[in-house]
Amino acid sequence: MDLRVSNYFDRSNKVNINVNNKKIEAYEGECLAVVLFVNNIKKLRLSPKKRQSRGMFCLMGSCQECVVLIDDKKVISCNVFIKDGMKIKVGDFDK
Amino acid sequence: MINNRKYDVIVIGAGPSGVSSAINCAKKGLKVLIVDLNSNSGGQIYRAPPKTYKSISKKLEENVIQNKLSDEIKKFKIETAYNHTVWQVSPGFKVNAFNETSTIQWQSKSLIIATGTYEKIIPFEGWTIPGVIGLAACTVILKAHHFIPSKKIVLAGNGPLLMLVAYYVIQFGGKVDAIIDTSSKIDWIKSTLSLITNPKNFRDGIKWIFKIFLKRIPFYSNSTVEKAFEVDGGINVKIRNLKNGKAKNIISETIAIGHGLIPSTDITRLLRAEHIYDEQKGGWIAKVDRFLRSSISGVYIAGDGAGISGALAATDKGLLASSALLYDEKFISQTEFDHNTYKILKKLDKYEVFAKAIFKLNSTPKKLIESINNGTVICRCEDITKSEILRAVDQGAKDINQIKSWTRLGMGPCQGRTCHYATSKIVAEYLNCEIDNLGYLTGRSPIRPVPLDRVLGDFDYEKITKVEAAPL
Ligand code: FES
Repeated sequence: MDLRVSNYFDRSNKVNINVNNKKIEAYEGECLAVVLFVNNIKKLRLSPKKRQSRGMFCLMGSCQECVVLIDDKKVISCNVFIKDGMKIKVGDFDK
Repeated sequence: MINNRKYDVIVIGAGPSGVSSAINCAKKGLKVLIVDLNSNSGGQIYRAPPKTYKSISKKLEENVIQNKLSDEIKKFKIETAYNHTVWQVSPGFKVNAFNETSTIQWQSKSLIIATGTYEKIIPFEGWTIPGVIGLAACTVILKAHHFIPSKKIVLAGNGPLLMLVAYYVIQFGGKVDAIIDTSSKIDWIKSTLSLITNPKNFRDGIKWIFKIFLKRIPFYSNSTVEKAFEVDGGINVKIRNLKNGKAKNIISETIAIGHGLIPSTDITRLLRAEHIYDEQKGGWIAKVDRFLRSSISGVYIAGDGAGISGALAATDKGLLASSALLYDEKFISQTEFDHNTYKILKKLDKYEVFAKAIFKLNSTPKKLIESINNGTVICRCEDITKSEILRAVDQGAKDINQIKSWTRLGMGPCQGRTCHYATSKIVAEYLNCEIDNLGYLTGRSPIRPVPLDRVLGDFDYEKITKVEAAPL
């Protein structure tokens, strides 16, 4: 089931992003954290001490839980708009 | 990069109150800069959809209001710095921010802080599982990004957001498995009645409740999520009734939880402004006078930052704070100031009735704090559990800053934004003392993690002047 709501807005172009070497389809400009979440990629990183999986939480740039690697740089994914060909790493990247 | 651009006033936060204060200043000819982390004006309440979304015929009310805000900013030719995260503010005033590529510093004579609120969330065991998100996050997914978070969802916490999120999930074709509310039905009836003076909110409330009622969503009053854990195909949610102790388990895909809002005090704490604790206004808030002047001359707090009064009051609070600034800087006369603020203050009094009603629904019951299991992680950044906090207290940590040094709580990337309120509540409950006695986390910069590559910028290694090593 596509969880997009399309009654109010048209999305722009369909693009592909690469998450842990898996291709995911999305629309250009969509919020990365949300796209990962609705694609059931919820485990974004591990917590520092207990090494528990963590994911998007506040969606407003406050909690810093949604950090992923984009082109090998750490960024909070709730503040990233999708571009074609983005390379994203999630999971145990924070060694 | 130090750019040293100078302004008369920098407004931090482009929500409704930030925008109204910026416009008020621009109208009098002040050089204004408005800074925001998001890519457009609107703040969280009217958060704009991504720029690539093209609107088709219908529009959500929030999106219409947001459009108006950005039109006004354009009309008054106000300088904007969107996609900029403020990480340091120092006296004088110097504001440091970074964007996708670099860092920048601006200077201004006055500051209007319109940074709004964060969501207040009381932890439960398992709230760290990916798939548990904030209720406010849920509204952003629905109303700004136009997604349903998951096919099925459990909504928990308290206050009007519970109903609003339920309404939109259903409206957009999702399924709400349960609503778990720490308040009672009587609390709801009382608060809804007191909203009659505020027709718009009253109508919205009735609209939401009606929809929820029609869909026969299981509604658990006086209840909380006590524990959640992952199971095949989703999350097991253990619901506990706080009154009769009964428990029940259900399985869903996602949990959204929220217990109201907390004023953002990052910047005022950093500037060492005075703060007071006011439970009704959302917790620790910067101390302000009637016209929203903080204890530091030149710093004004617009919007919910010095006490929650809601979106409707935001615009007027922006006008009030900026009028104080204009008067203090001699851009308007005493007569003009009195004339402007008299009307605003009267209006704000009316909104207070509304804020009080909401506060009742968003209050944090003692039983909810008691219900937090000892093994629950409270500080998500540093993985600090409730029992670790209480152990520090037993060993002699007397206030929240000592708890921080003892345990590392609040030292992580979120700088305590997520756990400050809950920790204060837990410790005050444990020691049977007032939260005032525990103090608040001293503001430390950077208030948001700054990527080192932005600070360093681009340079050729060869061009660096190498300093001779000191003789041994
Ligand atoms: S989800 Fe909290 S910072 Fe991104």
